Amino acid sequence: MGFILNPLYNIVSGVMVFFHNVFAPLFGADSGVTWSLSIMGLVVLIRIILIPLFVKQIKSQRALTALQPQMKAIQNKYKDDRQKQSEEMMKLYKEHKTNPLASCFPILAQAPIFFALFTVLNGIAAKTDAGVPAPIARGFLKGEYLESAAQAKFFGAKISESFLGTDLLSVKIVTVILILFMSATTFTTQKQLMTKGMPKMDASNNMMLQQQKIMLYLFPLIFAVSGVNFPVGVLIYWSTTNLWTWGQQYYVIKRNPTPGSPAYEELQRKRAHKAKLEGKEITGEATPEVEAPKVEGQRQQPKKAKKKKK
Amino acid sequence: MKRIAEILIKGYQVFSSTREAKCKYYPSCSNYAATAIRRHGLKGFAMAAWRLLRCNPWSHGGVDYVDYELDSADALASMRNTMVSRSSTQGTLKEGVL
Repeated sequence: MGFILNPLYNIVSGVMVFFHNVFAPLFGADSGVTWSLSIMGLVVLIRIILIPLFVKQIKSQRALTALQPQMKAIQNKYKDDRQKQSEEMMKLYKEHKTNPLASCFPILAQAPIFFALFTVLNGIAAKTDAGVPAPIARGFLKGEYLESAAQAKFFGAKISESFLGTDLLSVKIVTVILILFMSATTFTTQKQLMTKGMPKMDASNNMMLQQQKIMLYLFPLIFAVSGVNFPVGVLIYWSTTNLWTWGQQYYVIKRNPTPGSPAYEELQRKRAHKAKLEGKEITGEATPEVEAPKVEGQRQQPKKAKKKKK
Repeated sequence: MKRIAEILIKGYQVFSSTREAKCKYYPSCSNYAATAIRRHGLKGFAMAAWRLLRCNPWSHGGVDYVDYELDSADALASMRNTMVSRSSTQGTLKEGVL
């Protein structure tokens, strides 16, 4: 296991130490702010690396509008056999070399990082049997960095402490607030997607919507159960990545929404309104049929052309 | 060992459902892994790992069963038909298949 995990520890601790050195002149080397920011820096770096994948996914989601009639047909034909329906849908995607689903990679790529961060922070928090703090060095987080990180606080709670591992009220309060924050960001992200980001649902998609609704109310529970075991630092990581997800989606829904979704219609209205104010020709601009290719033009048209050749 | 893998996969499924990202294969990687490990043991682990590697942003996904002749919708449908004709053994047959 060591040969897989050690590089991960090195990456996580290396990035943390790097950001620590960047922020240390601003906030002080032993400041909790510096250490919190170095964890957030790790998140931001990972998410920036993942942006191209996200863009790719968005593009293939947009390309789906062209397949809409075929998808409807499949849903109708196999409405009693959900398995067959999924099979045919996948075949359709494959045929057109487009897949709106993200693949397991982005989430699984983050899992080892998450695990490594968990271990690194747990190492900071390690104690002897007698309860004396005895931090374990992992990767680049050693020596003075280790000692400094072990003392670093996030709003009065050590980043290495967890809800279940402490009697300190301050740690309990901070973890609970972070768990609430994580729940809130996930909740709003999902809600935003469901109410604005997705094309209007018909009956066959309703089951999916129903399922998502149930999940919507399960998040806080899942976060609460897992969050109490995690060090504050891991919760900071998790909260930041959730916040990033929300921001990313907010941007997409506002600036480049899925055709057919409520957010898309809203954007159309806004653009038509703007065009009107600027005294342009309104007819044609305001009709979605004409405007749709215009908005998405540069991104979507090459894809469409490819498919027609096939 | 199989039991542990099963629990881990279930845990992942509950956990990952909090996120939007989904598998581009059908059945999903986690379902595929669960079936493969249950049916093929150690070889199933390797199958699951290989599937995970294939499920990346550059692949096109698609339908990919552990055993097509056992798991596909058509296979299940024909299985159901034979079961109806032999309704007395329906229960045991179903156990064997699933």
